Amino acid sequence: MSAELRPKIIGARVRRVEDPRLLTGGGAFADDLGTPGALHVAFRRSDHPHARIVGIDCAAARAMPGIRAIFTGEDLDGLVKPILATSRMRNYHPTPIPVLARGKVRYVGEPVVAILGESRYLAEDALEAMEIAYEPLGDVVDPEQAALPGAPLLHEAAGSNILVSREFSRGDVDLVMAEAFVRVGGRFRFHRKTPVAMENRTYVAEYDRGRNFLTLTSSTQVPGIVRDALVALLDMPGHSVRVVAQDVGGGFGGKTSLYPEEVLVCALARKLKTNVRWTSDRLEDLISTSQAFDEIIDAELALARDGTILALAADVTGDVGAYSIYPWTAGIEPVQVVSFLPGPYRIDTYRGRVRAVATSKPPMGPYRGVGRPVSTFVIERLIDMAARRLAIDPVALRRHNFVSGDDFPYKVVTGLVWDHSSFREGLDEACRAIGYDALRSEQRRAREAGRWFGIGIASYAELTGIGSRISAAPGMPINTGTETASIRIDSTGTVTASFGITSTGQGLETTLSQVVAQTLGVRIEDVRIIQGDSSAVAHSTGSYASRSTVLAGGAATLAARAVREKVLRAAAHILEAPLEDLDAADGAIFVVGTDRSITFRDLARAVYSEMGRLPKDTREELEATKVYDPYFGTTSSATHIVTLDIDPETYKIRLHRYLVGEDCGRVVNPLIVEGQVHGGVAQGIGAALHEEVVFDASGQILTASLADYTIPAAGDIPPIEVVHIEAEAPSTIGGYRGMGEGGTIGAPAAIANAISDALAPLGIEITELPVTPERLFQLVRQAQAKAAKEQGSS
Amino acid sequence: MKPAAFDYVQSHSLEEAMVALRKYGGDAKLLAGGQSLVPLLNFRLLRPAALIDINRIPGLDRVEMIAGDALRVGALARHHTLETSPVVARHFPVLHAAMAHVAHLAIRNRGTIGGSLSHADPAAELPMLALLLDAIITAESTGGTRHLAARDFLIGALTTALAEDEIVTAVEFPALPAGAGWDFAEFALRSGDFAIAAVAAVLTLRDGVVGEARIALMGVDETAIRASAAEGLLQGQRYRPELIRAAARSACAAINPITDLRASADYRRHLVEILAERVLAGAWNRAEGQAA
Repeated sequence: MSAELRPKIIGARVRRVEDPRLLTGGGAFADDLGTPGALHVAFRRSDHPHARIVGIDCAAARAMPGIRAIFTGEDLDGLVKPILATSRMRNYHPTPIPVLARGKVRYVGEPVVAILGESRYLAEDALEAMEIAYEPLGDVVDPEQAALPGAPLLHEAAGSNILVSREFSRGDVDLVMAEAFVRVGGRFRFHRKTPVAMENRTYVAEYDRGRNFLTLTSSTQVPGIVRDALVALLDMPGHSVRVVAQDVGGGFGGKTSLYPEEVLVCALARKLKTNVRWTSDRLEDLISTSQAFDEIIDAELALARDGTILALAADVTGDVGAYSIYPWTAGIEPVQVVSFLPGPYRIDTYRGRVRAVATSKPPMGPYRGVGRPVSTFVIERLIDMAARRLAIDPVALRRHNFVSGDDFPYKVVTGLVWDHSSFREGLDEACRAIGYDALRSEQRRAREAGRWFGIGIASYAELTGIGSRISAAPGMPINTGTETASIRIDSTGTVTASFGITSTGQGLETTLSQVVAQTLGVRIEDVRIIQGDSSAVAHSTGSYASRSTVLAGGAATLAARAVREKVLRAAAHILEAPLEDLDAADGAIFVVGTDRSITFRDLARAVYSEMGRLPKDTREELEATKVYDPYFGTTSSATHIVTLDIDPETYKIRLHRYLVGEDCGRVVNPLIVEGQVHGGVAQGIGAALHEEVVFDASGQILTASLADYTIPAAGDIPPIEVVHIEAEAPSTIGGYRGMGEGGTIGAPAAIANAISDALAPLGIEITELPVTPERLFQLVRQAQAKAAKEQGSS
Repeated sequence: MKPAAFDYVQSHSLEEAMVALRKYGGDAKLLAGGQSLVPLLNFRLLRPAALIDINRIPGLDRVEMIAGDALRVGALARHHTLETSPVVARHFPVLHAAMAHVAHLAIRNRGTIGGSLSHADPAAELPMLALLLDAIITAESTGGTRHLAARDFLIGALTTALAEDEIVTAVEFPALPAGAGWDFAEFALRSGDFAIAAVAAVLTLRDGVVGEARIALMGVDETAIRASAAEGLLQGQRYRPELIRAAARSACAAINPITDLRASADYRRHLVEILAERVLAGAWNRAEGQAA
């Protein structure tokens, strides 16, 4: 069989190998782990946004039935160190995160006391018997107020609530702005959001006192990062700490950070020499899992008469909550907003200032898209506002300003580099596939019939699969640029491929099986993927930042190639054929053009079990471990187009069509890529129309249940069409680009543009997300009042 | 989010349940579908001494037509049973239409009619429909049986006329007037979400003149309410667009909505007026269709 005729596994719509397990209740999630005799933790959490802890009285709680131990922050001295996210970033103030609050509390929901009971029920009964006296400190709720000199400080040691500040600048922005033909801008607001993974955070620590060995089974996306951090915080040898994340029920970034609860169960399992476990309930998830976005952006775009972008300026205030999260720091989200704000456009003159301000809210962390849903919302709104002012079609204005052709590789003013990516092709294909011109005609007819019909476009570029050249978060002292694969053929001829990355349901077991199977020449069912285990490889971080297919897929390819070479060398001896005549596919090695072959199973037996089949000095272990570092990473891009109707009376928004034209390089499995796009778009729809974490003026959280924090349900999501653009392959191994986050990046901007387009006759521009019916009601009322006033005065 | 300790009492007959209720003297809760009760327990907003499980009481889940073309629904009937009942769809299409808006399928599969009435959530469809359809609620205790009109049964938010030892055992919906037109409209942020506002109407026409008009509103006051003044406006009138608008404005004037995370009081007023106009027009159309 020639290479061309061989069945292609990479690129095929292979059904997900993990689905029978996950869909029939056969998954192994952290909470499923049986731990007889384990102690269950319940946390007494702060009900104050910012207060000094005056006294904690545990006496009554200690006397309750089934209570085995109670710990406060002071009791942890000497057992565990505070968590500290350091960075080489200038103008950065790290904030130690105590595992249990010390001295003061900084947000509603912060863990203050841990009660360990024989069951969670008994532990929660004892929570009510705890007495904690607080003395309220000043409000630190509004980030702009908190940034002012003299504001009450959340972290006195930092000397300021501004934990990070940074500026990107090139060219004389003010001069260009002053002389430009047209300027559009405004104050944009992207409200706070929380990930809402289906599986709540869960941590089970098992301590083997005979071996001084600690196993943490965690719902984490980053077992490697957690293992390395635990070793440092607990001062244990690395070989005696293992972090396992077998099946994880969604993460979306909310499980990429190290959490106090995660460290606490480990410290106490070790201290009490027993097993200690904690499963978050939904209330705890909504008030203590890292939250996202929450930025105020004052932005302005200047253009020439022909639509050429001349300059962009933005001031970003990110509300980063109470602590600088580990390991990503308080810079992760807001700094990305200014880094990515220029988008896929040629912009030479730019000033982007950002400050990350601490407030008494749950810490901000990475969430699917990190910064780019916000930056894309702002730049794409500015483009549409400019298109309206210049009377240029928004598609034409985008095409005119895209980085394209010879511009690649293009260095963005903020230092990012776009390698060749299909910005134009993505837009053109999306317009062709959805029938853009016909849609505009439909819109004219709809408007004549009194309908509020809108078409929204958003184009964006993102950096994915980033290597060691830049860190996933600015200045962070952790290597996020490499992944390791270890592939082994055992004595029965089956293949085990081990990784440190973690699947949270996105189908990595299937994707990596495809890469390994095709590269080695075996069938998918011959391959078992081990992932989500810090002991599987020497070093790994985990799954985040649209990196796993690029990095782990690249490492898998390198390791599989190395094993394949060993397989072919052994087969050359056994089949008595020259190495260059051999090929492997579908579980067998064969001499090309003949019927001579040997299965992997027989070959493995020959290598490992049958003494004397191979000369002693040619016998090699059929295994290899390889590390892959894409160094720069690669650019993924997409254009989203959505159409919608707004009921002119009730302001109900109905999405009609949603189309994504995306370039994620070579597609390993279209089924999985489309699933990822669908899920990401659904979350973007949530950000655009529904989801908002709301606090009152004192910092009390008001959206502490799923009745009040409203995520879209299946019935709220329209059918989503996906068009893949496999244009020029990037230089990554296999030609893959990352694509796990894109859906969430494009959707808020596309929907905001579609709503603004529908409301264009009223002169309403959307600058605040989510666009709820209530907000639309207020906007329309204001527009009508303004129109009435203008009519009155004319 | 674990409930405080409680006794669990399994009752196999109505008598057993009523005796247990009396024994706990107001400190027990009935467990039927548990769809509202269990979250309240888990948040420890309720901490009864006992839960009395009535799910195994036989015969309490019947949905049947009785004398006079009335519909009798047992308290243990699930929302889903009512939603999918062909009898309900044929004789009480407005009830059938409203049931599809009750939460999500999983909740409709467990939640019960008696539970929804007893819980009396101001944003629940069933109390509103009971009010619209002049339903009679049967409440039983060891002391005897009472029949309460829906308007007397619903007192306030999460408050009913039910005594501590009483159990809702059934609800009867009297037959709709012959040739009645109807409509139902609800506005929620998401499919299956709590209503921000809902309006339902039943209209009968005699020679193009309104005989009877009933309008119920929900989500915009302490309980579901009837818009009596608007009903009065329509009585004896012929169709005019201005009449519909006036009735809608009148319905809007009757409500006392709150501002919460989902919607402001102003927006709720706006919605009630829009929905009332649509529902009255829809009901009028159907009534005319019936007459033709």
